[in-house]
Amino acid sequence: MKAKHILLILVAFVFSFNTKAQTAQQILDKVDQLTSAPQDAKQTIRMTLTDRNGHEQVRTAIIWQKDKNKRLIKFTSPAAYKGIGFLSLPNDVMYVYMPAYGKERRIASSVKNQKFAGTDLTYEDLQAKSYKNKYNAKLLSKDADKFVLELTPKERSQYSKAILTVNKDYLPVQVEFYNRGNKKAKVLTFNFVKSGNYWYAKTMTAKDLKTKHSTKMEVLSTKFDTGLSDDIFSVRFMKQ
Amino acid sequence: MKRLTILFFAIFGMIALYAQDSTGLSIGGQLLSNERVLLKKGNPWAWNENRLDLKLQENFSGNAKFYAQVWIRNIGLPQVGQINDLFNKGIVDPINLEIRQAYVQINDFLVKNLDFTAGRQIITWGTADKINPTDNLNPLDLEDVLDFGRRRGADALRFDYYLNNDWYIEAVAEPFFRPANMPVGIYANLFDPAQFITMPQGLTMSSFSSTITLPDNKLSSQFIGGIKLKGFVAGFDFSLSYVYGRDYLPLFKNIDMQVLDAQGNTAVNVDFYYPRHHILGFDFAGNIAGIGVWGEAAAFFPKGAIKFTSILHTYDMTQFPPQPVTYTVDSTLQKKGLPYVKYVLGADYTFPDGIYANFQFVHGFLHERFNGGLNDYYLLRIEKSLFYDKLKIAPISGSFIVTDYKELKDNYTLLYMPQVIYKPNLNTEITLSLGLFGGKGKDIFTSLKDLDLLALSVKYDF
Repeated sequence: MKAKHILLILVAFVFSFNTKAQTAQQILDKVDQLTSAPQDAKQTIRMTLTDRNGHEQVRTAIIWQKDKNKRLIKFTSPAAYKGIGFLSLPNDVMYVYMPAYGKERRIASSVKNQKFAGTDLTYEDLQAKSYKNKYNAKLLSKDADKFVLELTPKERSQYSKAILTVNKDYLPVQVEFYNRGNKKAKVLTFNFVKSGNYWYAKTMTAKDLKTKHSTKMEVLSTKFDTGLSDDIFSVRFMKQ
Repeated sequence: MKRLTILFFAIFGMIALYAQDSTGLSIGGQLLSNERVLLKKGNPWAWNENRLDLKLQENFSGNAKFYAQVWIRNIGLPQVGQINDLFNKGIVDPINLEIRQAYVQINDFLVKNLDFTAGRQIITWGTADKINPTDNLNPLDLEDVLDFGRRRGADALRFDYYLNNDWYIEAVAEPFFRPANMPVGIYANLFDPAQFITMPQGLTMSSFSSTITLPDNKLSSQFIGGIKLKGFVAGFDFSLSYVYGRDYLPLFKNIDMQVLDAQGNTAVNVDFYYPRHHILGFDFAGNIAGIGVWGEAAAFFPKGAIKFTSILHTYDMTQFPPQPVTYTVDSTLQKKGLPYVKYVLGADYTFPDGIYANFQFVHGFLHERFNGGLNDYYLLRIEKSLFYDKLKIAPISGSFIVTDYKELKDNYTLLYMPQVIYKPNLNTEITLSLGLFGGKGKDIFTSLKDLDLLALSVKYDF
């Protein structure tokens, strides 16, 4: 009888632990499903870079995205940045193109932590990769309005962990990134809106907590499911 | 000629076929003002350049693109020598126009993943920073010595075939040879060939003349071509290349010295030519433990031995009257089939506090040739960005050049060029530079030692 009780307690413990783990993973799956639901998207964005004194710089870019794991960003203004490109492809393959040099460079994994074109986003941040593929998730808390997940990178990363806050609609609200010294280094905040059948981040703000510098990305226009060609997601197109 | 005309119409017929709806002509570019004053008594002007760099681009929906880069410039100061010059606006206020690039590019030309580019274009080969030994398809533009590494566009047909994102093959054909242009203004004398001629004892150069022989005016002589394979292996970008090229700088072929009188005054005439060579190139770029590293090497195989002949016409003074006599000496600079290798090794690193360091070692500068004639250059730049890149200071920036390690104290050049760069907004860049030059020996950069300067440049991108 005693052994049966112990077994029941063990099963209940394992079950409860497993349920909690599954829930975190399920939440992350739902987040991925909602945030990358379109087959493809083309967006015109405005980036506003703000320093600690409130001085602003504005840049514009076009983002093409397809199949959850392909992304191309090309700056369209200001003139000094026009043509700078970033390409993210499956299997951690990333390239950057600087028109002033006329040369593309593949981004080695050891420099994924470098910031892209003066923004507060690193190549790793810009990589087209789902949360599920990037992180293991653990549910830290949940209430009526939100879930809080602790994400730990599956592969070598500039971050030791991230704390993701998800609203009841399974849309990300905020991500706090911790550096390898386990110190909070960067905060991303999102404002999702719905267009037709799809949710997308109308604004996303990245704030570097050390430098107090921030980058706000606003979507000015967006088109979904236009049948973007795979040729767009190539070094060749990035250079054109 | 007929064949070239057919080729011309074939290319532009193809463009018309590919080019359908235009997205409109976009115009961008840069306005640059570049001023330098010498740090000597009276502060004479060393450089005055005002440049409008126009970039025009038009994309067509049928995978075609037109691109042009045009410089409209006012360079130098008025060279007015007589009253009539004042009636000539071209002398009073000289303006020149230069088509740096003008080409049409067609994507998926004939087959998928093949890009075809026709026209004047700058072909960027090599991974090193500004000094690229493997870049032998664009004529050198040595106009401004302090802007070393600058190239002019080449009139070329270029084919890029993309095997995938990491691998592509590039083939270039240039039907016309165009020589390098030399420095101007205060730097005009740096490459003066007369300074490289050692006169026999007792003779003085009283006049100097030269003759340059360009390659024959036929396709087989003028043609330059190259092929490159670019790839990515084990975390490194790399490329292998071959160029069937010509030296863009003229080389001595014959030196003819004519003794004019008993005092030893001698007229010197030099024949120059542009020798052929085969060039094998290799470059790589990557990252080791967060440090960017790159290397680039080119082996030059002269087609035939490179030699020059010295001819001295003098008099045998032991006879009366003195009898004319001619001495001829052949000097071999590079034996047939024996290559000389130029290379660059470099690294850069950004420290966590934002300090950026860039180091390059160069063996063989742009103008140097042949084994024994290649010097070593140690280039270092350390800069720090402040106020979110609004201000950049480079207190250490320059080069140490060694022409002879055995007698270093008499054979070196030091170029020190610290800079302060201020960006009042994203499109404007104001740079204040100091140029301090010193050294001993015969290197051409040593002759900059009397040309210490202060430079101001203002750039505006639009």
